[in-house]
Amino acid sequence: MKKIILSLFTLSLPALMSAANAATELEGGFKTGPAIILISILCVFVMVGILFRAKDTNDYYAAGRSISRTGSGMAIASNWMSAASFLGMAALMYGSGYHGLAYVVGWTGGYVLLLILMAGQIRKYGKYTAADFIGDRYYSQGLRATGAIIAILISISYCVGQFAGIGLMFKWILGLEYMWAVMIGGSVVLTYTLISGMLGVTKNMQIQYIIIIISFLIPLFILTFKFDYFWILPQIGYGSVVTDITNGIPSAEISQLVNAVGHDYAIAASPEFSMPWDPATGKTYFQWMAIAFSLMIGTAGLPHVIQRFYVVPKASDARWSVVWGLFFICILYWSAPVYSAFGKILSANPEVGKLSKDAIVVYTAQLGGIHPLIVGLLAAGGVSAAFSTVSGLLVAGASAFSHDLYVKVINPNSSPKKQLLMARIGTISMAIIVTMIAMLELGLIGQLVAVAFSLAGCTIFPLFLLGIWWSGSNRQGAIAGLIVGGLISIISITYFVAGKQGVVLPFHEFISYYLEAWYFAWIGAPLAILANIIVSKLTPETPEEIRKFLIEKVHS
Amino acid sequence: MNKDYHISFFRPTTERAKHNRNMVLWLIGIWAIAIFGFHILLRVIEKPVPEPQLIAFNEVWNDVKEGNADASSLTTFANSALHVAGKVFISTEHRAALDNGITWATFQLADSAQQVALTSALLDFEKAESEANAVTDADYLSAKRKLGGLATSILGLQPTEVLAKILPLELRSSSIEAITAENMEIIETCMPLYTIHNRSFLTDTTFLGFPFHYFYSAVFLLILFIGLCWAYCLRVDQYNKKMGIAE
Repeated sequence: MKKIILSLFTLSLPALMSAANAATELEGGFKTGPAIILISILCVFVMVGILFRAKDTNDYYAAGRSISRTGSGMAIASNWMSAASFLGMAALMYGSGYHGLAYVVGWTGGYVLLLILMAGQIRKYGKYTAADFIGDRYYSQGLRATGAIIAILISISYCVGQFAGIGLMFKWILGLEYMWAVMIGGSVVLTYTLISGMLGVTKNMQIQYIIIIISFLIPLFILTFKFDYFWILPQIGYGSVVTDITNGIPSAEISQLVNAVGHDYAIAASPEFSMPWDPATGKTYFQWMAIAFSLMIGTAGLPHVIQRFYVVPKASDARWSVVWGLFFICILYWSAPVYSAFGKILSANPEVGKLSKDAIVVYTAQLGGIHPLIVGLLAAGGVSAAFSTVSGLLVAGASAFSHDLYVKVINPNSSPKKQLLMARIGTISMAIIVTMIAMLELGLIGQLVAVAFSLAGCTIFPLFLLGIWWSGSNRQGAIAGLIVGGLISIISITYFVAGKQGVVLPFHEFISYYLEAWYFAWIGAPLAILANIIVSKLTPETPEEIRKFLIEKVHS
Repeated sequence: MNKDYHISFFRPTTERAKHNRNMVLWLIGIWAIAIFGFHILLRVIEKPVPEPQLIAFNEVWNDVKEGNADASSLTTFANSALHVAGKVFISTEHRAALDNGITWATFQLADSAQQVALTSALLDFEKAESEANAVTDADYLSAKRKLGGLATSILGLQPTEVLAKILPLELRSSSIEAITAENMEIIETCMPLYTIHNRSFLTDTTFLGFPFHYFYSAVFLLILFIGLCWAYCLRVDQYNKKMGIAE
């Protein structure tokens, strides 16, 4: 194997070197070097998927419960670090300054909730999927089916954002049309998810994490070194970049430093980049708080994140895997703002023009004059980030379809072979639906992903929180909570879609502001919890066998 | 063992549950105060602070609007507008209005010979701009340098200043004659929008090179989250070991 990899590398090196210059264009045609890097990485993914493929349903859903704490932490991080983290995070801060940090805080702070309120208990409950938990805990096949449908909707919404990221990077590297880029990328990720199941996906995710983080960090060291900042730890060194943007950098001081198109490394004083909820960004204090809260609640309610706790051997492993996962995630989240800060200075000259925010990570590296092959690796890392998340989402969505809908509701007597077949049909169906929606280009990566978080926060999170911690929460309460959370989600998403189509609905401005699609969980989740509690109090209590199970198995 | 089989987070019935509840409440308390408490504090103590360019703009704007501005006022107006046009978050609409103001003021400040030269240089630059394939094209760079040289001297800018570098890009041949009424309104609205910032000692104190609040949210909070998670896992493991609980 080593010899094959070495031979491939040796053969491709001259092509890579000769192709390097082709990657210097900000936009444009086929970039050979980055394309070779991308294709090599995708080949590795598929090979790992084949080597660690699933042998039965236990393997397919929960990786045989054989993944270590660090391995699972790496898989959590890789699964989590999507195109939204890799590309969208820097884009948000590039586009709205300090406001973007609400996403950084929201997407990491949620792990504290997830750990102390759920991780260990979910593992002890011993179910395969989120819908499995809901159906059993609330003793209702209807709720199981509803949970499965919500999990599928969340996975689709999340996947669409990832496919958009894949499309953007494939378009940049291969010079393809967006539509073709989405179709090719979707086909590859579908192929290895189908072959490997979650065991392969988990192993893949550990490799993907390493690729993602290396490709993301290398340009940061180069940028901070090149522009004379503290390069040993760019995540701290860029503090001076932020202060430089705030106070301005006069041209005369650093005339020898230029970006890739020859502009001085200079910028007019722009405190709006770093000051909180600055009027220039069009974002408010309320939005900062609402986004941070909604994303945290959503993090603790995402089915594909919750599902990761089923793949560790013990409850304590589930807890420690969160710590490791968060640490691995934070390495990327400490680094993403560096791209936005450098991106602001390097694209400050109006001659650079309006850049696609979602690709600012790659543009920053290009404008910083980083070697095209490293930029290519960075773009391939972006694709890898999207792939790792999509694979986890496809498994979570397919599990909801085959395990929770087909096996538990439609055909309880199906054979393991039939179950695996249904899981694969579910994966293919989801990939096709996501590809079709992604082609419509409904919104930015971050927007589509944030909708999934709020949806999870309004629906799944209250069911898990109360289901684990209060035996008084019963089926009727769960239904009431789902109705309230679902209603708020529908109102918000309706206004969001109407707004996108240019349709103005009654109270449009008010609802669009207070129930915006990426933070409607700030009110939806508390109301859903309240409805669950009130209705549970007014209706017959939870059956004894469920309460007994909670005491003896989950909280013992 | 709870014989009624009732579980409630707030009313624990076992020692272990009490221990867990207390630990969770502590951690969530720290978590909530660290995130939301800090940002509430940031909000409470902040003050809207204008940039010097806005103060200068406000002093001359009425004269500019009413057509009574002298050379000094026009220079002040053009420089403050140019400062905002060069900002990193400027919208296309606002930039176009500011460009109108900058161009008009620059031509008002020029004498007749300079106006002729400036007009010619501006038209040459716009032609080169439309024909250039890249911003590094020699003709484009030459036209930009010529226009920049003329305009910066009129506005009293040093050629090495950041604003001098962007000035030629803000001049428009269609904006020489006057500032339109619509653009006047936009300029009046957008100047404070881009030059008033919410500041306090938390934003103005520098820590490890960062504005303190930025460091707090972008770096410290993430360290705190990992620390909270680590502390929780360690405490649970220690407690389980002490009590002889095997999971």
